[in-house]
Amino acid sequence: MGSNTWLISGSPGCGKTNWILNNLISHKGSCCFLRLSGYGDIDQQQVASTDIDYAFLKDQIPQLIDLSRSSADSISHQDDSLILIELPQFRIPKELGLAGIDPRIIKQLATFNLEPDKYLHFGRDMELPINDTLNFNQIESCRFKLHRNVWDPPSLNTFWFELVNGAYGDVYRAKALMNIPDGRSMFFNWIVSQKGSQFLPLNTVSPPSGRPTRISELVVQGKNLDSVRIESTIQLCLLNDSVLELHQASLRDPQMQPSYST
Amino acid sequence: MKHAVISCLHANLSAVEAVLGDIDRQGIETITCLGDLVGYGPQPNEVVELIRDREIETCQGCWDEDIIDGLDACDCSYPSQLAERRGHIAHQWTTEKLTYGNKQFLASLPTSIRRGRSFFVHGSPNSQHEYLLPDMDAFAALERVEMSGADTLFCGHTHFPYVRELGNGSIRVNIKNASDREREVKEMTLPIRRIVNVGSVGEPRHGGVNATYVIYDDINSDVEIREVAYDIDRTCKAIIDAGLPHVFAWRLSNGFEFAELAEDASHVCER
Repeated sequence: MGSNTWLISGSPGCGKTNWILNNLISHKGSCCFLRLSGYGDIDQQQVASTDIDYAFLKDQIPQLIDLSRSSADSISHQDDSLILIELPQFRIPKELGLAGIDPRIIKQLATFNLEPDKYLHFGRDMELPINDTLNFNQIESCRFKLHRNVWDPPSLNTFWFELVNGAYGDVYRAKALMNIPDGRSMFFNWIVSQKGSQFLPLNTVSPPSGRPTRISELVVQGKNLDSVRIESTIQLCLLNDSVLELHQASLRDPQMQPSYST
Repeated sequence: MKHAVISCLHANLSAVEAVLGDIDRQGIETITCLGDLVGYGPQPNEVVELIRDREIETCQGCWDEDIIDGLDACDCSYPSQLAERRGHIAHQWTTEKLTYGNKQFLASLPTSIRRGRSFFVHGSPNSQHEYLLPDMDAFAALERVEMSGADTLFCGHTHFPYVRELGNGSIRVNIKNASDREREVKEMTLPIRRIVNVGSVGEPRHGGVNATYVIYDDINSDVEIREVAYDIDRTCKAIIDAGLPHVFAWRLSNGFEFAELAEDASHVCER
């Protein structure tokens, strides 16, 4: 069996990352991942490159190799490797199979010495689930970098409720990795076509001491998004140094200290 | 005779006007207000002046107390940092807008009103800040009504209207005298008592968007919880025009309270 390099594309929230996760988990050999920047039309803003997907996948599959962090020459195309490339793309490709790949994407792939064996698009190819694929005619995107920030948990709960219920515009899709004081990073995932939000604590927990350095950000896609008010509400929810220390001091009490994986 | 009891107006003029209109159309002349005339909403002066003009007997709510004392609710009464900071924004805005005369009026309000066998408070006879929730322990609830010396205790503060009858109440006490090895058991049977929470005119928390209040008939003791639709868009526009957080308008128009419900609503600030 040779290495497999698959390009997986689809619109926001169609389930690309979850599908990739499930396929990488079930693969016995080495696993590689690459997220490409997509190309939207004037009315379809693509999210600027986000690290959420890789951070989430890496947490679930610690041996995962991120091709964006490896030089093209260092990528070892082992016989048993599975390389999954995620591509945000709103429109169904005009042609089937590899012929449908946008030339601009081929150019991006060339910088990584990658040439897909297979190209699958959500909503077109039956190998992929189609139940949660949405068609977007107009979409805006906002990205909020939250590096080193820690949330007040009840405030985060309220903010997320307001966000996905339309307080800051019509949100179609929201995804985030957010730090809470006990050292956990929470993966938040929501799409308008599905009921409820997915909340998943990452396996990797930081000691409750100071500000965590791992990836933390929020990506929101939708219509009439009020990014200024989203940002100002986020600021009301984040803990300052003294309040964070207050939370963490109680967690550092030996009797209350959780066990950490790293 | 029928009486109307209103509470938690929260500077929502459109809601107050609608409720007073509903009361007037029924020919009810006695109105009692259980406080929280201001806070979060965009028309504090207009609401206070309407209550003053109508000479509605009013007791002081927790927000009224906080505004006139120049205090803000302590951190422990907010369910989150976000709610606390939004509360501070609302408090500061209201403090700046409210006239000296209207502050004086709020300062002059009593913390309770007694009328016959009925007792009127904002939160509980203990404190303007204490919540009497519908699922409160029956003994504690009975104790609160007994404390007031009334048959019916009218309250607000929770923004959730309900009528709770405390029937067949009894208190059993074990008494042990130092000089006596035997324990003495005393049991007292209490008559039926009632807590009537009148909900909120300006910031409903019953799952819908309508204002709520109560009509009480002192002849047959009937209590009617009434819902009144009002021009929410007018209030939301006023919130935005006033420069208050937009999310207050969004929450109000969706039937959510301005801030969040406290997780430990039974908590009483010891400030």
